[in-house]
Amino acid sequence: MITVDIRADLNSEDQTGYVWTLLADARDPSLIKPGELVVAGDEDAPAVAVVVDLVEHPHGTIVHLDVVGTLDRFLALARRVVPAA
Amino acid sequence: MSDLPDLRDHVRDDPTPRDAVVLIRGGPDAVEKLVAQAERVRTIFVLDGEPVLGISVYAALDDIGPASVDGILADKLVTYRVVHLVPLGELAGAGFTVLPTFRRPHMTVVLGGLDRVEPLLAALGPSQRNPHYGEEVRRRKGRLT
Repeated sequence: MITVDIRADLNSEDQTGYVWTLLADARDPSLIKPGELVVAGDEDAPAVAVVVDLVEHPHGTIVHLDVVGTLDRFLALARRVVPAA
Repeated sequence: MSDLPDLRDHVRDDPTPRDAVVLIRGGPDAVEKLVAQAERVRTIFVLDGEPVLGISVYAALDDIGPASVDGILADKLVTYRVVHLVPLGELAGAGFTVLPTFRRPHMTVVLGGLDRVEPLLAALGPSQRNPHYGEEVRRRKGRLT
């Protein structure tokens, strides 16, 4: 079971063209900073995303995400990395 | 008067899509997921000054290009292994209002209440494999204006 860093509906874009969700849906809000790579979505459909920005809103903080690929691709990349001897 | 942004200000002035236009949503969906997202929308938006429950979908408005079925599956929804596809006319026939919101081809299905989540899930139908899953994602960097 995958635990995402921030729950998000990756279908949902706003006027910025980025996916948005709420900071309240992060398992650890301190992970959610502009430029950070995070796992976003849900346990059925996780994806890797870059945090674009955090926007204050009267009812919470909106997080914009730039989805950059499937988690599978990033895990495959990590497995290819061989530490130098 | 609400202090929240009004979704109406983000409705595009698009021609009304044909009933045959296919709406696509990354899945698999479930009642809990739809409720969670509808509640997020209600947290940050209103519609015509009133609380609104909404669910995002993409409409295959073109035969080719980024707003076609393949274009949407290969870009917006490329990280979804499975997707739900439903003709606009079916959702409209089931009593849902679908608004063209934000950037083309994004649309918002407006729910009259949380009791409409289960009918929406039923209307979305079973999930289907996304043949473009895992293809390279085109970064959206620089879209913020």
